[in-house]
Amino acid sequence: MMLPQDNYRIALLSAYAIALHAFESLIPMPIPWLRVGLANIIAITTFILFGFRSAMMVTLIRVILASLFSGSFLGPGFILSLGGGVSSMLAMGLVLSLVPGLFGPVGLSLIGALSHNLSQLFLAYLLFIQKIEPVLLITPFLILIGTITGTVNGLAADLLIKGLKNNQESIQNTRR
Amino acid sequence: MSLRQTISATTLGDRILLVSLILASCAGIVFIKDVLPNSGGVIIEVQGKPTHRYLLDQDRTVRVESPYGQLTVEIRGKRVRVIQASCQNKLCEHQGWVSHGAIICLPARISVSVGVPDKSGDKRIDATTG
Amino acid sequence: MAFNVQRRISSCLLLGLFCLTGISLLSCSAPKEQVYRKSMVQMDTLVTITVVTDSADRAEKAMERAFGEISRLDTLFNFFSEKSELSMINSNAGLSGVRVSPETMEVVEKAIEASEKTGGAFDVTIGPEISQWNFSLKIKPEDESIKKRLGLVNYKLIQLDKAKSTIHLKEKGMLMDLGGIAKGYAADKAVEELKKNRITSGLVAVAGEVKAFGRKPDGKGWKVGIKNPRSTGKNDEIMAMVELNDAAISTSGDYQRYFILDGNRFHHILDPKTGYPAQGCQSASVIAGDGVYTDAFSTGVFVLGPQKGIALLEQMGFEGLIVDKNGTIHTTPGLKGKIEFTTNH
Repeated sequence: MMLPQDNYRIALLSAYAIALHAFESLIPMPIPWLRVGLANIIAITTFILFGFRSAMMVTLIRVILASLFSGSFLGPGFILSLGGGVSSMLAMGLVLSLVPGLFGPVGLSLIGALSHNLSQLFLAYLLFIQKIEPVLLITPFLILIGTITGTVNGLAADLLIKGLKNNQESIQNTRR
Repeated sequence: MSLRQTISATTLGDRILLVSLILASCAGIVFIKDVLPNSGGVIIEVQGKPTHRYLLDQDRTVRVESPYGQLTVEIRGKRVRVIQASCQNKLCEHQGWVSHGAIICLPARISVSVGVPDKSGDKRIDATTG
Repeated sequence: MAFNVQRRISSCLLLGLFCLTGISLLSCSAPKEQVYRKSMVQMDTLVTITVVTDSADRAEKAMERAFGEISRLDTLFNFFSEKSELSMINSNAGLSGVRVSPETMEVVEKAIEASEKTGGAFDVTIGPEISQWNFSLKIKPEDESIKKRLGLVNYKLIQLDKAKSTIHLKEKGMLMDLGGIAKGYAADKAVEELKKNRITSGLVAVAGEVKAFGRKPDGKGWKVGIKNPRSTGKNDEIMAMVELNDAAISTSGDYQRYFILDGNRFHHILDPKTGYPAQGCQSASVIAGDGVYTDAFSTGVFVLGPQKGIALLEQMGFEGLIVDKNGTIHTTPGLKGKIEFTTNH
């Protein structure tokens, strides 16, 4: 993180991510904690364009600030968000370093979503709901929903990346 | 975005992953539905702790004992009743058939709860008087 | 370069704008109201409390306090407990007055008020008669025995000294039984406790004595089902449904505690004038503002029978429904439009 432009970039992307998160939480849903995870679009885009460190920074900033704003910092929601966010970044990073060409934004998003959901389920079981039964029971549903939202986010990220690449000249000193 | 454009935005790896995830989670859901416990069951509790669980779809007679007494519970035709109790007031026997709610024998400290979430009209009722 | 500076400034502005949006949007999310329900065995029956609130914590605390209040009242009013204030009063009948808590005084006062209004059809001094019956062992007392004790059943023999907070039963052998009014009173007090703990909408059901306040999340009142006195199975268990808006409902029925002997039904709602089960009704339901009244009056109206019962309810400004001994339904005029019948009558 040596260039000032990178700092601004991270801050700006984080702000976009927070805004998307806030916007999303305004939409009334029958199941309250079930979200599409629009902020992940930013995370994926950041990952592909600017690399692991940037993406991890953006995610961490988003999770922490969002929970500070909503007053749930260090609460259960925060722990789950943090766990999910960090694990999805790690999973994506791992996959990109092992098999760089295999997946595009959609695949990466799916991997991120899968590891996000699984680690949230695991954390919820470990820390909050000690009974394994209900957790196992909803796992297939969550994975299915995560797959659908992951695909949507991945496609959106892909669009965003293409759009940004078209304005390549305004992106200075990119680092991969 | 047209379908062709959408597909071209994905790699082969993406598509394989997507399909496998969908298949795996659907299989999981089907599996779960078969294994689902207690969606129409009777729970018998002795001194507050669940000791017996039964589904309503099989007729049976169960004898339940506690240090304070005993009951004989009959499950038949998706309903439950207490046909014999060792307590003095026999209020539990008097309740007759229930299809939802609970029959409690206080002296014996045994409760029989029928946990069917009521479809149709009863879902609208918040309490019962009578 | 000027261009760079310009871009920096606009980036910062955009950043600031988005952060502000983030802050305001996230901090404005309204918590949703949910329905919480809990049941406990108290007063020898099932007590269910339902509350609507947006905080699980508040629901938990309020319900705990409300259950605690009912438990406390039970220790005062329990007929079978030797240590209850009621038992103290009973064991000192014909001897002396007993100092009581304000709640006991209030309940007995309201009981006497109900006795006056029902012309003695509701009478808590029914103790000497009702204690001779045993509905689980199917024991009916001898006619002689019933007649002998009838003289002890008279609410006018209850002496209240409000200055000293004492209650005195004048004749030896008198027994007060608050079973016909205590549950309604307990429901009222439990609701008060919930309100004290910042609950604005809920329902307390002490067996069949129900008191409701506030509205459900869907904006409607609380729906209470009235049992069919001659139900044969799960399909006709409920005969009607009313929507309660800050009101209470109680039902007295000949099917709640009874036995059948030689083809005759003997149930627990005795007529204080005769000592025998009242014959006019199968069930009587009363709707009023407070549970203490609905409980007492449902018993009184049951004993009075359909004609006198409905007339009294109209006089009191209460609503009610009576199923007479032939199964015919009588209702107060004000109930029309507020009640929904579910089985064909």
